[in-house]
Amino acid sequence: MINLLITIFAPVLGGFVFGIERIIKARMQSRIGPPVLQPFYDFFKLMDKRAYIIHSLHALMGIMYFIAEWFTLAVLLLGNDLLIAVFFHVIAVLALVIGASSVRSPYSVLGGLRELMHMISYEPLMVLMAVSFYLITGSFDIKTILSFNGYPIFQMPLVFFAFLLVIPMMLQKSPFDIAEAHQEIIGGPEIEYSGPFYEAVYTGKWIEYIYVFTFVFLFGGNHYWLGILLVIFTFIFVNLLDNSTARLDYRKMVKFSWFVLIPLAVLNIILIAMWR
Amino acid sequence: MASFVILNILIPWIFALCVYFFKKDIITNFLSFLLLPILAFLSFKIFYGNLPIYIHTSKFFDILMDIYDFGLLFFFLYVGIKHKNAYVTSLALLQITLLIIVLSILPSSSTANIYVDKLASFIYIIVALVGTPIIIYATKYMDYNEKNKHKFVAILLWFLGVMNFAVSVNNIEWFFALFETTTLASYALISFRKDKEAVNNGLLALWMNQIGGVAILIALMLMVKQNGYYYFTDILNHPKNVAIAALGFLSLSALVKGAQMPFQNWLLGAMVAPTPVSAILHSATMVKIAPYLILRIAPVIHNTLLAKLLIITTGFVFVSAAVIALTQDNFKRILAYSTISLLGLMMLTAAVGTPIAITASLILILFHAFAKGFLFIEAGILEKAFHVKYITQMKRLIEKAPLTMMFIFFGFLNMTFVPFGAFVGKWMMIEEASNFLTHGSYILLIVFVGAGSAFLSILYMKVLGISVRKAHGIENIKFIHLPKTFNFISFWYYLFLLSMAIFIAPLISNFIVSIAKHLTNYHINIYSSNLSLTINNSTLYFWQILGALIILTLIHILPYFVKFKADFVQPYNCGENHPKYLGTWDFECIKKYEPFLMAFSIALFIITVVLGGGLL
Amino acid sequence: MKLNKFRKKSPWILHYNTGGCNGCDIEILASLAPKYDIERFGALNKGNPKQADILLVTGPVTKRCKDVLRRLYLQMPEPKVVVAMGACGHGGGVFRNFYHVENGVDNIIPVDVWIPGCAPRPEALIDGIVEAIEILQTKSKEKEYIRNHNEIIDKLGAKDD
Repeated sequence: MINLLITIFAPVLGGFVFGIERIIKARMQSRIGPPVLQPFYDFFKLMDKRAYIIHSLHALMGIMYFIAEWFTLAVLLLGNDLLIAVFFHVIAVLALVIGASSVRSPYSVLGGLRELMHMISYEPLMVLMAVSFYLITGSFDIKTILSFNGYPIFQMPLVFFAFLLVIPMMLQKSPFDIAEAHQEIIGGPEIEYSGPFYEAVYTGKWIEYIYVFTFVFLFGGNHYWLGILLVIFTFIFVNLLDNSTARLDYRKMVKFSWFVLIPLAVLNIILIAMWR
Repeated sequence: MASFVILNILIPWIFALCVYFFKKDIITNFLSFLLLPILAFLSFKIFYGNLPIYIHTSKFFDILMDIYDFGLLFFFLYVGIKHKNAYVTSLALLQITLLIIVLSILPSSSTANIYVDKLASFIYIIVALVGTPIIIYATKYMDYNEKNKHKFVAILLWFLGVMNFAVSVNNIEWFFALFETTTLASYALISFRKDKEAVNNGLLALWMNQIGGVAILIALMLMVKQNGYYYFTDILNHPKNVAIAALGFLSLSALVKGAQMPFQNWLLGAMVAPTPVSAILHSATMVKIAPYLILRIAPVIHNTLLAKLLIITTGFVFVSAAVIALTQDNFKRILAYSTISLLGLMMLTAAVGTPIAITASLILILFHAFAKGFLFIEAGILEKAFHVKYITQMKRLIEKAPLTMMFIFFGFLNMTFVPFGAFVGKWMMIEEASNFLTHGSYILLIVFVGAGSAFLSILYMKVLGISVRKAHGIENIKFIHLPKTFNFISFWYYLFLLSMAIFIAPLISNFIVSIAKHLTNYHINIYSSNLSLTINNSTLYFWQILGALIILTLIHILPYFVKFKADFVQPYNCGENHPKYLGTWDFECIKKYEPFLMAFSIALFIITVVLGGGLL
Repeated sequence: MKLNKFRKKSPWILHYNTGGCNGCDIEILASLAPKYDIERFGALNKGNPKQADILLVTGPVTKRCKDVLRRLYLQMPEPKVVVAMGACGHGGGVFRNFYHVENGVDNIIPVDVWIPGCAPRPEALIDGIVEAIEILQTKSKEKEYIRNHNEIIDKLGAKDD
């Protein structure tokens, strides 16, 4: 029931998370920051703008990105398999990348290609994470994992650590905000969207927050307080990282993911497999 | 039922003879269209008939086969000498020597020479449904400034018969003859245009595949020496005391035939031939012998060191071929690399050898055959009707060739995205492998499958990205008229793929699981209810399949129909005029690692044969 | 629900320097920094005309920049407001009547708010933004035009091939 509610109200919830994040970010920079409802003000304002499009394909892909993102969340929360949800996420990336590379703006095309680099950095690790959940709880099923009487976080600390550093790649946060790179390519894939169509992409990113933090929540098993603590910790850690680090090159991101994070996760899986 | 099997092999040959001798357009077209229902009927009849079928042949055929073997090898020798190619010549001589040794020690046996089980009839079905449309397509394709149309179609027809024969033999000595016949067919087809490049690539394919032939002969020798039998059924019936070295050499020949990494060049060279050749080599025939052979011996090598090393080797090929494909810019070459990569995945899943893994392998074979045949056909249409060969020329393809672009889009979606077969194969493999992560190779398997599928997805997205790039403001897309044959074949594949995706759950749980059950004799915990697919405890619900299918269908079809009523604006380029042409990344930075990947794959190859085969 | 009241809650700014001395730009950055923090009004420096509401122009508009300025203006979706900041934007400032300048922003695009000073203090900038938001609320979604729109528009766009 609660899963269904979260799925349906995911954009609203994600908007709140995004608003809180903007405040936290401002406070970390000793600014006051916008109000909590700021994302919704932006949302309603964008609705009222005149619609400008490059061509229909591009505008359509923005909407498809939003739908795919929402459906992916539904698959994660209402379905029963983590792996399928991980693979579904590729569809959302597809819509974003096809939209980004369908226009002749160099920033957009570059952003789309960098989005692909993001994908090869986080996708294998997500698969490994799903597998390690299976090894510990004996199921890919999200309901079984949430009723698992134990502390997955203590059995897969390295996977959690790797996932902690993968979250900046998924949410476009600072050391790895390569596809979005506001100072460099001005938003990357989302640059050419405007007005109501930008709204779709903007809201899609809020849903991505819920998608990612659901995975973090799973690390608590059936101890929901631990899950919530982990989500809060991750949230603050990711923002701290965002505010305190500079952007890296995309090659460094891929290398970091492939030569540090994935071996760590594999090591963890080997240890779990031997432990059993 | 046995007569159906014989008809299935002979009818393509008879048709090939008719086409070759009459050389009339109407006869060629009629026969190629006629072959589709005939082969489809026969293969389904065999599949749902009483299996397995054993056909005992008289001694006469054995002698005939030996003579044929020698004739074939001497022909290879002739080709080697004629083209002054040392590899072909020496390998042919080596094979002749080995064959004489094998024939001298070969004991006589009363086991049936032809053995058709569900796996073989599954390949019949693929040949009928995927291979025959390619021939229909070839009849039209060869009208575009190509010579020797009828000879070409005749060779293709003959090739289908050979393929049907190759998967139904039981005697490994006969299998060697047919293996070499497919080699001959690939040589004939690749060097069909008779120019220098074509002949060189044909010779390359010839000598590389001859290595596979040598491996089979060595395997035969070892098998006869150690066990005294040389039949697939005997191997399967006495799994305990089979010479593992022989199986190692058999899997070596599979790796060569499947163009795995150190030997990938012959399949890449196949693209100089007319496109139907690539289509038929990559989808229905030839390379599918590789996973077929591994599937044949899968119950025997299950959980041995050989299987584990095969997993590592093919998994490595799965990832590294996908990585190298990123650096290519020839469309057919990209498709070829992705075939190599996915063949690696098929053999990996086959080598794991558990019932669910075998199911995954069969799913991959079926869906890959359809999708790759589809993509190569579209590549051929692009080449002939739109003169596009490189992905740099694919700019604004969505305006120039909307229908073809839509088909290519759908073909690519089939290769990695959610409700389609390739995804289901990977998903089943990961879920299955998670159950027994006791060996390092299985953990590597998960990394390989996850990484390889990510690399393949970015490869397809890169190619799609460049072909959907549109001039801004252009909304009206004109559908250009294409020949009826092309459209028929395209829609044939398109509708097949679409319906297989929707009904993927019953397809797998009724059709494919029955084959895997037949191969392994275990109960397989895969079933479907209300079009949802359940594997062990995980379910792919129908609403997920349908949702993903609707989203993906909308993504690839809707752009042609949706027109938003909004103002058009220029793309942003810091206020400057935007550039007219934008390329894509060529991943030049990966190219320098290519020799390392090759060296590593050669090392893995040797380790597989030496350690896995137990030669030390 | 009247949506136009939300316009004042989230004014997104596109800032463009048309050849000034960068004094104004430093003041803009100062207003983004902790002391003045215009993000508390919901304002963001977007750097992208497609998603901006306020075009904040500094500098005297050099000849090289004028088409760029026009394009940026035309790519912004309505409703939109133009704020000219600093003395240079008001008729050229110290660059007035030089061979290479167009003498101010309003020779190129229509300006709604003027922020005087060389350079204006951040307080003045915030005051100007607030003024711009008031104007933004009264504007409609109708398309806006630049001076000599029809003659210039062909020159501005890239030709499709």
